[in-house]
Amino acid sequence: MSLPILVVDDSAMARKMLIKSLPPEWDVEISQAENGVQAIEAYRAGKAAVMFLDLTMPVLDGYGVLETLRKEDLNSMVIVVSADIQPVAQERVLSMGAIAFVKKPVSSELISTVLKQYGVI
Amino acid sequence: MSGEAFSFNLAETVVKWLDVGIFVLDKNFEVQLWNNFMAHHSGRAAEEIVGKNLFEAFPELPKPWFTKKVNTVFLLNNFAFISWENRPFLFRFAHNRPITGGADHMYQNCMLLPLKAEQGKPEAVCVMVFDATDTAIAQNLLKEALEAISEISNRDGLTGIYNRRYLENRLSSEFDRTRRYGGTFSMVLFDLDFFKKVNDTYGHLAGDKVLVEIAARMKAQLRTSDVLGRYGGEEFILILPETSLEGARIFADRLREMIELEPVIYDNITIPVTVSMGVTEHQADMPSYTSMTHQSDLALYASKAAGRNRVTCYDPSLEKLAAQAKH
Amino acid sequence: MSLAALSNDQRDALQELTNIAMGQAGASLATLLDEFVDLSVPRIRVVELVDLPPVLAELVGKTNLVSAVRQSFQGYLRGEAIIIFGEPGCQALADLMGFEGELGESGENELLLDVANVLSGACLGGMMEQIRNFTETKGPAELSFSMPSVMARQVMAEQLIDPQKVQWSHALLLEVNFTIKNRDFIAHLTMLMPEEGIEKIRGILDEFLAAF
Repeated sequence: MSLPILVVDDSAMARKMLIKSLPPEWDVEISQAENGVQAIEAYRAGKAAVMFLDLTMPVLDGYGVLETLRKEDLNSMVIVVSADIQPVAQERVLSMGAIAFVKKPVSSELISTVLKQYGVI
Repeated sequence: MSGEAFSFNLAETVVKWLDVGIFVLDKNFEVQLWNNFMAHHSGRAAEEIVGKNLFEAFPELPKPWFTKKVNTVFLLNNFAFISWENRPFLFRFAHNRPITGGADHMYQNCMLLPLKAEQGKPEAVCVMVFDATDTAIAQNLLKEALEAISEISNRDGLTGIYNRRYLENRLSSEFDRTRRYGGTFSMVLFDLDFFKKVNDTYGHLAGDKVLVEIAARMKAQLRTSDVLGRYGGEEFILILPETSLEGARIFADRLREMIELEPVIYDNITIPVTVSMGVTEHQADMPSYTSMTHQSDLALYASKAAGRNRVTCYDPSLEKLAAQAKH
Repeated sequence: MSLAALSNDQRDALQELTNIAMGQAGASLATLLDEFVDLSVPRIRVVELVDLPPVLAELVGKTNLVSAVRQSFQGYLRGEAIIIFGEPGCQALADLMGFEGELGESGENELLLDVANVLSGACLGGMMEQIRNFTETKGPAELSFSMPSVMARQVMAEQLIDPQKVQWSHALLLEVNFTIKNRDFIAHLTMLMPEEGIEKIRGILDEFLAAF
């Protein structure tokens, strides 16, 4: 069975860039969300074994999503993908339960390295 | 890079002779390159400076500030600028305009550039020093001219003290400043008593002489921060920064007395002059500076009503008197 | 507006490109100020120059006073960047940089210039880097910057730019809010560009869109 993964970003272009950087051989079923609220819905529907999460988004931002997931005992591997490359931002999301931080712009190499590191592929 | 056709290195020679100061610092502020512009203006040759710490070679440089500036370029991997308008110069170089100048040093603009390999962190910082003396002199002259124009447009033509336009701007800014930073200030509104009679009896030239003389005598008594202006006709305003109501009253009364004791002499005619004054102080709950002109006006009116040649301080009961007087 | 208006896809791509560039600008600013900087989602639009004064006034508030720094850039794109600061922002900056009491006019100006330079350099530099990495550009995607200068202190936003005096017809308006230490420090970045600059950006965006 394919692994359900969720790509969360308000920018369609950013979602496309990320999806294109995923390893081609990886057997996944991809869902997308444009903001934090949609992301939570998709997560509750079981579509997010792995979640690629942007931080700066309207409605509910990435921090808000992490906060909510933590309350619902986090049943997803969250990889934060963000343009905010301040070390403090990275520490903050890791302390909130994200397993990794990938800086934008993403590349296949960056994504593969992280996925391998955590044994996802 | 082309240039192999020449018997010298093209880029190196251009940098050496460029009419812009160029020097390069490594992370320890050791000078790595020092072109002729820098050498000739500082009187320190490249052979002497290269390999030395910049601050040891030039102890007069503003070390903490310049260190921060250069370190920021290393850290952010971004260029930076220094403008003569904020800091006239980095190096105190003489300039070559001894006649037209009016400046005793070269004004400088600087650009700081991170130097690095294609992908990587900066390994050195290049500083370019541009001679901005021409621009600075032109701009300073323009500024002086504009200041002179604005000074003229702020003055009353007859008495040479400030005019109404300036007084209102100044009251407004003093009001804002006090509201922002605290402190206080007072204002005095005053009027020459029976001035119309002076004009009618002795003529308008005599009246003008009285206005000029009173303005000059008052001006001689002021602190540098005090502002005196002609509000219109025979009405004057005095703005007293950092002065309480009581302080303003005492000062105003001294001026009143001075004027009363010494009549104005015009064309061998002795013209007695007295003034009536109204004083008020800034209060935190005033909505705008016009509250102060209103209050001082009421106080001045009370001085007139009580027989002139006196100083009255504003107090709220004056509002009622004014209202009754209207009916 | 139709001439230079962006399609939804183009706007989305530009927004993401800017988002990445502003992330770098924010990180640079954080390093400069030694404080964590909260970034908001940048909003982007192409505005006809005649509409710019009211749009700016609406952005920063009609009665609010602003200060602004201008800086021209040339190379792959050419134009003028105008960085607009809200007045409370200036004081917050001075506090953060550890200046005590009154900074003096030239000290404040220097601070504004430094921060504006970091923002425009990082933002435009970040955009160039992505153009180099993701598109087949003709000629190197590099920019050089001229010395920034303070164009206005404490004026109404509407008075900042007189469209009559600008030759170019369009402006690319990037609205970016930075919050530092719970203090709203808002900066707006406006880029005035000649017609061909906006066209060039559209070309780049189409190339981006085709690549993904």
